[in-house]
Amino acid sequence: MTRHDFTERDIHMALDGELPEEERAGFQSWLEGNPEMKARSLRFEADRARLRDTFAGVLHEPVPHALAGLVTGEAKTRSAAAPRWRMAAAAALLLALGAGGGYLAGVGGLGAEAQSEEELAEDAIAAHTIYAAEQRHAVEVGANDKDHLLGWLSKRLGLTLIAPDLTAEGFQLVGGRLLPAGQKTAALLLYEDAKGDRISIYVTAEGAGKAKGIYSDEAGEASAIYWLDKGWGCAVVGTLPREQLLDVGRKAYRQLLAGAGMA
Amino acid sequence: MDDRRAAILAEIPRLRRYARALLRDRDSADDLVQDCLERALARMDNWRTGDNPRRWLFTIMHHLFVDQTRKTKRRAEVVMLTLDDSEALSSPAEQADSVASREIMDALQTLSPERRAALVIVGIEGFSYAEAATMLGIPAGTLMSRVARGREELRGLLDDVARRSAIRVVER
Repeated sequence: MTRHDFTERDIHMALDGELPEEERAGFQSWLEGNPEMKARSLRFEADRARLRDTFAGVLHEPVPHALAGLVTGEAKTRSAAAPRWRMAAAAALLLALGAGGGYLAGVGGLGAEAQSEEELAEDAIAAHTIYAAEQRHAVEVGANDKDHLLGWLSKRLGLTLIAPDLTAEGFQLVGGRLLPAGQKTAALLLYEDAKGDRISIYVTAEGAGKAKGIYSDEAGEASAIYWLDKGWGCAVVGTLPREQLLDVGRKAYRQLLAGAGMA
Repeated sequence: MDDRRAAILAEIPRLRRYARALLRDRDSADDLVQDCLERALARMDNWRTGDNPRRWLFTIMHHLFVDQTRKTKRRAEVVMLTLDDSEALSSPAEQADSVASREIMDALQTLSPERRAALVIVGIEGFSYAEAATMLGIPAGTLMSRVARGREELRGLLDDVARRSAIRVVER
């Protein structure tokens, strides 16, 4: 049974996907028989496309830090005093990172050093975003050729690089690759857990800076735990819950330093 | 960051788009999103976990938008009167928008807040009538007629703009 008394109301319903399936064919032939209604339908559709196009770009704009930080707890609310729980969360984070030397990105006093740590974290997140999403070409050298991988990356970076053992944390080495980092080179080691969640360890030979912290990109998807110390720049990047990423990151960093004889 | 916060974070781009379509001005729109997030975070218990937070967040934002438009009705009238001079008034950020985009943004701002919200939430955000009616807190029939009238009005406004630009071209 199809209805024959279609009206302009049905044009809107059809456009919005609200016309019942069994009425669509009837509606279409009604439109064909009513050029005026058909023109109107096309016009509404075109206007809607214009509307959508006009605002489509908003989805791709970087999310302002004031908004993303509000949710992650890194930015304050606009009201003068930050709620108590947020202060507590920030304090807990500082404790988790350990005392001395480091400070959180985005919290005051960002100097020239902060520039390089931000760069380190941003580069590490960018590399992770690109390569962790790759299934077949995520790494240049796989874990099955680990000695070669580490020898090669160590040589190119001018560091003694080991691949931290994160088995206890549920992560296995997938492999690694060499990346450009400004004028220098960086190494990326990619790990994966049983669920297919990936984290990456990004290492570069940095200057004399000393800093550590957590950094989230503006889209807020991946976070980096980073250290700048002893001529190393190291960032552990992933989309894991922050506590877990902190835990894995610290274990990885300790092993990296030990492996290079610096711990 | 817990899963609920991550889920809220993921909705920010959509909230920003809805706010931009409602208010046009980028800063005002982001302020609205910020208010919405603050309120949502303070009332996290109202969100049934497991549900996608989108509808919950859109509902909160819509309530804030309605409150705000009540307070600033006069400003809306000013926007309407200056429709013709939009190019001279546009801020540097808006100058990057194409003429066609600006025309449709102006026209959208001329609609009443009720029609604008209905049209945007269905036409741009793609919610069903039932979802949209729930979020806006109105019966489905009312929602539907707001969408239909909003579209009609928008069409008329865009035709007016087209006619005026045609006259301008002839005058030159």
